[in-house]
Amino acid sequence: MGLSGIEIFKKLPKTNCGKCGVPTCLAFAMKLATGKAELDACPDLSEDVKEELGEASAPPVRTVVIGTGERAVKLGGETVLFRHEKRFENPPAFTLLLSDKMDEAEISAKLTKFKDTTYERVGIVLQPAMVAVKGECKDTSGFMALVENVCNNTDAGLVLMNEDVDALSRAVKSCSNRKPLIYAATRKNAETLGNLAKELSCPLAVKGNSLEELAEISEKLIKMGLKDLVLDSGARTAGKSMEDQIIIRRSALMKKFKPFGFPTIVFPCEMTDNPMKEAMIACQMIVKYGSIIILSEMKGHSIFPLLLASMNIFTDPQRPMAVEQKIYEIGATDENSPVLITGNFSLTYFIVSGEVDASHVPSYLLIKDTEGLSVLTAWAAGKFGADTIAPFVKKCGIEEKVKHRKLVIPGYLATISGELEEELPDWQILIGPREASHLPAYLKQWNA
Amino acid sequence: MSKIICSAAIRGAHKIVGTAEAKCEAALKKWGPVQELGFPNTTYYLPIIYGILGIPVKTLGDAKGVLDKCKELLPAQVSDNVWLPYLAPALEAGMATFFAEEIVEAIRYLEEPNCYTQGENPLPDNIWLGAADDVIMRKRGVEFVDGTAPGFAAILGAAPTSEIAAKIAIELQEKNLYVFMCADHEGKTMSEQLVEAGVQIGWPTRLVSFGPSYTATVFAMGFATRAAMSFGGVKPGDFAANLHYNKDRIFAFAMPLGTVIDEWYANAAGAINWGFPTIADTPIPEILPTGICTYEHVVSNIPHDQIVARAIEVRGLKVTISKVDIPMSYGPAFEGERIRKDDLYFECGGGRTLGVELTVSKDMSEVEDGKIEMVGPDLDQIKEGAKLPFAMLIEVAGRQMQPDFEPILERQVHHLVNYVQGIMHIGQRNIMWIRVGKAAVEKGLLLKHLGKVMHAKYHQDFGNIIDKVQIKIYTDEERVKEILEMAKKVYRQRDKRVEGMTDETEETYYSCTLCQSFAPSHVCIITPERTGMCGAYNWLDCKVSFEINPTGPNQPIEKGECIDPAMGQWKGITDFVFKASRQKIEQVSAYSLMNFPMTACGCFECVATILPMCNGIMVVSRDFMGMTPCGMKFTTLAGMVGGGNQTPGFLGVSKHYICSRKFLIAEGGLKRVVWLPKMLKEEIAERIKPICEEMGIPNFPEMIADDTIGTTEEEILPFLEEKGHPALTMDPLM
Amino acid sequence: MAVEIPKVAYAGKIKEIPLGREGNTITVGGESCYPFHLFEGAMPHPPKIAMEVYDRAPEDWPDTALEPFADVAGDPAAWARKCIDTYGAEMIALQLASTDPNAENIPADEAAAITKKVSDAVDVPLIVFGTSNVDKDTEVLKAVCEACEGKNLIIGPLSEGNYRAIGATAIGYKHTVMASTPIDINLAKQLNILLGNLNVPDDKIIIDPTTGALGYGLEYCYSVMERIRMAALVQEDERLQFPILANLAKEVWKIKEVKLSETEAPLLGDQKKRGILMEAMTAQCVLLAGADILVMRHPEAINLVKESIQDLMIRGEG
Ligand code: SF4
Ligand code: SF4
Ligand code: SF4
Repeated sequence: MGLSGIEIFKKLPKTNCGKCGVPTCLAFAMKLATGKAELDACPDLSEDVKEELGEASAPPVRTVVIGTGERAVKLGGETVLFRHEKRFENPPAFTLLLSDKMDEAEISAKLTKFKDTTYERVGIVLQPAMVAVKGECKDTSGFMALVENVCNNTDAGLVLMNEDVDALSRAVKSCSNRKPLIYAATRKNAETLGNLAKELSCPLAVKGNSLEELAEISEKLIKMGLKDLVLDSGARTAGKSMEDQIIIRRSALMKKFKPFGFPTIVFPCEMTDNPMKEAMIACQMIVKYGSIIILSEMKGHSIFPLLLASMNIFTDPQRPMAVEQKIYEIGATDENSPVLITGNFSLTYFIVSGEVDASHVPSYLLIKDTEGLSVLTAWAAGKFGADTIAPFVKKCGIEEKVKHRKLVIPGYLATISGELEEELPDWQILIGPREASHLPAYLKQWNA
Repeated sequence: MSKIICSAAIRGAHKIVGTAEAKCEAALKKWGPVQELGFPNTTYYLPIIYGILGIPVKTLGDAKGVLDKCKELLPAQVSDNVWLPYLAPALEAGMATFFAEEIVEAIRYLEEPNCYTQGENPLPDNIWLGAADDVIMRKRGVEFVDGTAPGFAAILGAAPTSEIAAKIAIELQEKNLYVFMCADHEGKTMSEQLVEAGVQIGWPTRLVSFGPSYTATVFAMGFATRAAMSFGGVKPGDFAANLHYNKDRIFAFAMPLGTVIDEWYANAAGAINWGFPTIADTPIPEILPTGICTYEHVVSNIPHDQIVARAIEVRGLKVTISKVDIPMSYGPAFEGERIRKDDLYFECGGGRTLGVELTVSKDMSEVEDGKIEMVGPDLDQIKEGAKLPFAMLIEVAGRQMQPDFEPILERQVHHLVNYVQGIMHIGQRNIMWIRVGKAAVEKGLLLKHLGKVMHAKYHQDFGNIIDKVQIKIYTDEERVKEILEMAKKVYRQRDKRVEGMTDETEETYYSCTLCQSFAPSHVCIITPERTGMCGAYNWLDCKVSFEINPTGPNQPIEKGECIDPAMGQWKGITDFVFKASRQKIEQVSAYSLMNFPMTACGCFECVATILPMCNGIMVVSRDFMGMTPCGMKFTTLAGMVGGGNQTPGFLGVSKHYICSRKFLIAEGGLKRVVWLPKMLKEEIAERIKPICEEMGIPNFPEMIADDTIGTTEEEILPFLEEKGHPALTMDPLM
Repeated sequence: MAVEIPKVAYAGKIKEIPLGREGNTITVGGESCYPFHLFEGAMPHPPKIAMEVYDRAPEDWPDTALEPFADVAGDPAAWARKCIDTYGAEMIALQLASTDPNAENIPADEAAAITKKVSDAVDVPLIVFGTSNVDKDTEVLKAVCEACEGKNLIIGPLSEGNYRAIGATAIGYKHTVMASTPIDINLAKQLNILLGNLNVPDDKIIIDPTTGALGYGLEYCYSVMERIRMAALVQEDERLQFPILANLAKEVWKIKEVKLSETEAPLLGDQKKRGILMEAMTAQCVLLAGADILVMRHPEAINLVKESIQDLMIRGEG
């Protein structure tokens, strides 16, 4: 962070030419200051200014991109230690481990599962992000074939892993257009892999056997001119990983320690043989700073909760999540089912729909766009008043779906009932409970 | 303390200690010093001695030791010709009295094991309950802590008749107080009088017949002393903490009925140590100035029909009303109800008839709590569709009440009346408007009930500042006019007071941290001339909010030494914000946009920011959806500067603050404003008039550009130049 | 290359609270660092897990959650014993669900009798939950306090609406209270101040800042817990230096995603394992935010979390 919007503004051309996509230099400066724009968007900056601002506005943890196209994976870019301070930027990339030691059947099963695994929640697609291909056999042909197989089968990001530098180099070259992550530069091979990564402009993982060694190799690579690194401190227990991850993130943020200013890669798959436990360790890594999380399998029962956890931890605490404005039918609704309305703050939606579901009373839930604000806040901000609810109720199509004309509004909004009845003269406005948890009881005694 | 009381108390104490000594000597002769001594079923020994002195009296020998201490405590008798400094010795005499009485009662248990029933209820042949054992103590003590029983009345003696006794007892019961009874007056006791009158006594009815002798007062005092130990965490022997606990939390008082003899004076003096005042029905000397007790110490000669009310007032007891007693449902769910023309039974105010609401504060003696007066016809005396003039005058009194709180209390009338099912209330002051529906009138609702609503709700919601509420409702034209005239005068005074209040005149500002749930480090500093950025909280609101909820989000801050008057920086404010922002915000200015501006939470009414080309400031309000000259819409701005961060050049402000003389004075104040949305400009035009005049630019509003002039700096600059806007020639903003 | 570890300067410490009856207490709290930040502070008492027991046979639980308790559901004392004997529970959390006025609405003395029975059947610390109905909880928990004198139960939730009544009774009968507030650090602090004013001793307060399930608001609760811990440890906020309780099981096991079978939702995988992981991961997240007591349900989820706690308590090499 560092510079405030005003400080940045002072350095901009002040022509308000709009070429950066926003109308004024001040607006652009604010976007830069809040990390919502890249410096390059303004074409009229002098090199000096670029350097000065670039330095100051670059996030302390570099944003590294792996892969290309739609499924390119953005990692790092973090600016805080705790999510409430601002927000965590880029959720971790759950990455499936495939090894040349696995037989074909296992590989194809795992790969299919990987591809099938995708969920949608509040309009956001949740899916595992990458595949890691690991070469463990002496004979490198299997490894090469596997890389090819994976490349042909998925557009997802890639991590290529092999201790055999030659094999690794060949594999990377075979798919360098996919911008795979090269794993990993060690004390021994840093120079070779560093050059390879530079030549092919691929991101490079750095592995040390300790934080000290990691810092040393990382610094060396930085000096060689590498920019996109990913860090592995070598920790392979939950406790040690926790410690290392915290130290790496803190060093980057609090000390501006350059060698640690990169995203990290962690290996729950190497920390236990129990898949359930592996998932638990992965969960820990979501919370405490893992960027690439390598998993030995992608089973729905473990990857789904993991994706949920990462979505939760990485939501912007200052910008509420919102669901789509529409009629949600819960259960086997018919023309006599109750009709409820509330705002589109995702939490409101989840909790209300959950309680309606639990009531076993099939109901229509009208979700009105309140820009993700909760009911009372939305009302206070003029986004959930009678004047905006009425047109929505009329237009959303609920009048065709039910015979009755009774609308249940949240108990906290009792104040608008009168106004709403005036705006919706055909409807009778009922005051629902104040707490969602009282909905089941309320709905059970509801009759059309 | 009055010399008469003082000497009487000391005389009484000497007598009581003497009696105790004699009893103790006799008992020692009979049973020897190792004989066990104590009240039954308690781990607190003789509780007053244990609580105050820290001595566990287990044997007669221990008791003897305590009595020796009593004698040391006992001050010399007051002789007629020596004038002693009197309060302290009397209080010490009171203490000695209680120690001695506990020993007397303990010996009584030894001598006559069945003198007391040792249970919760009186027996047919013995109505005296004696000391509360630990089981009773805990069960009942809880009620004292959680407020279901705010305290107790220790009654000595007897009322003139059983009827009066019953009346007093029931009145005390209604206030949820316990009644602890002991001692006789001319052979009569209150306990016996209640039995005679058919009133059920015992712990369950809170009418506790401790004992026939005045020495049984110690059962009441022992109860209080134990409460401090078992509920207040007070250690035995920590007498200061024990007495404080009782003064602050147990709303107890002594009520001697009948001739106050020396021994009673001694007990009353003792009770003052605990902060319990004495309210007597006989003409004994009064001790009014406050010192140890919260308010007066001894108040006397109170008629029996007023004695309970007076006692409650003197002890500072709060009235609690749990239910709004009207024939309609009541609650926030009815706030938004509309009464349409077809449903209308009655209306008043709203330009149809004269209407006015006024809340004023009065002296304690001028208000009779719960009194509701109705002058003129009520709903049951008028025909459907009638209209009447209306005035509601609410008079409140309270020891914590300040005239400054009146407007805030008055403002509550709107939603409190609206909560009544079947009533619609709009507006306030003399533009109020009430409609009552037919259904409500059918159910028996009267205008008078509004008085009940206000009485109950004021007590419920503002109990911390109000002790008494009385309401007068008028539908009689003449009287309404009178109230209206009076109200107008009051309104004028209030408006003047608010106008006259400046940041300089007040030493205390307030914080608001309500928004921290969204914006962790956000703190609003609210001064008389700067409201919270949401526009919902002004300085007075915060002041009241603090009185009502002292641990809440509005805390008073001593502003302290001024660091920079133009920026609006004070030492006290800086320190507070640093702490309240959990060390995130190290400096804050109340009046600056550029230097350490206040943090922004997210739902400010307006945002102010700079327009560099125009060398000025623009302000956009939440309700303006369009693009603004800074290149960002309100929503974009809100997204960028919210979250509790300090963002130089961007600031959340309320509309009220824009119209304040302190508006961004660090940057030159209102004069800097070069752009506003047209609707905002029109909204505040009237209010900024006087400031424009003071600036010497009465037509200043015309110089401010708005969205009809342009929404980019390039578009508005020529306009500003043409108008000769002062900002263009002011010091550069940055 | 030397790496200088940027350490946090902790100024505060979480209070140590002994739970359970004398002679058989378990202590929670005492942290002088962020959760599991063992390289810069101490966590003398690792977080504990309380196993849920219900006062009646649950109706709306998925079979996957009910199965371990099928033989004891309906007999809370036996259920509690099973949690201890078979599953090694360190604490029991009795949920008095049937006191809910919207459900069976059993009277307070009946609830107190049930609680008494459970508390007589176990020797580990016992947490007793009402149903978050301000008035009913007051009645119920007061009765519970009286019936279980001397057992130092942890009772709750105490809210702004009933902290006086329940708090006073808890003082009288010497129980520990759980101060509950709705996901807001300032409200949490305020309630602790109020409890202090009421004279509830500091070693008898646990805070419950509200917990949501994974996918259902967990993030808000997570951040509030984290902020409470920060305020307590580095920002001199003495009234927040209390152990945190997370009542999570009942939140997790009511959501749709643990109730769907694999046939209904093939992409969500095995229903039982999914439920277990949803619960265990919710726990994992709040652990890392600062929770000291986790109220949990499924024995296998509990085992996973216990292991996790063990692993995180080791600063091992490599
Ligand atoms: S492109 Fe550059 S000069 Fe043009 S408006 Fe954007 S920041 Fe200003
Ligand atoms: S914006 Fe309003 S509610 Fe929020 S902190 Fe400021 S004054 Fe309080
Ligand atoms: S200003 Fe924003 S954060 Fe504050 S109360 Fe209003 S909506 Fe909430």
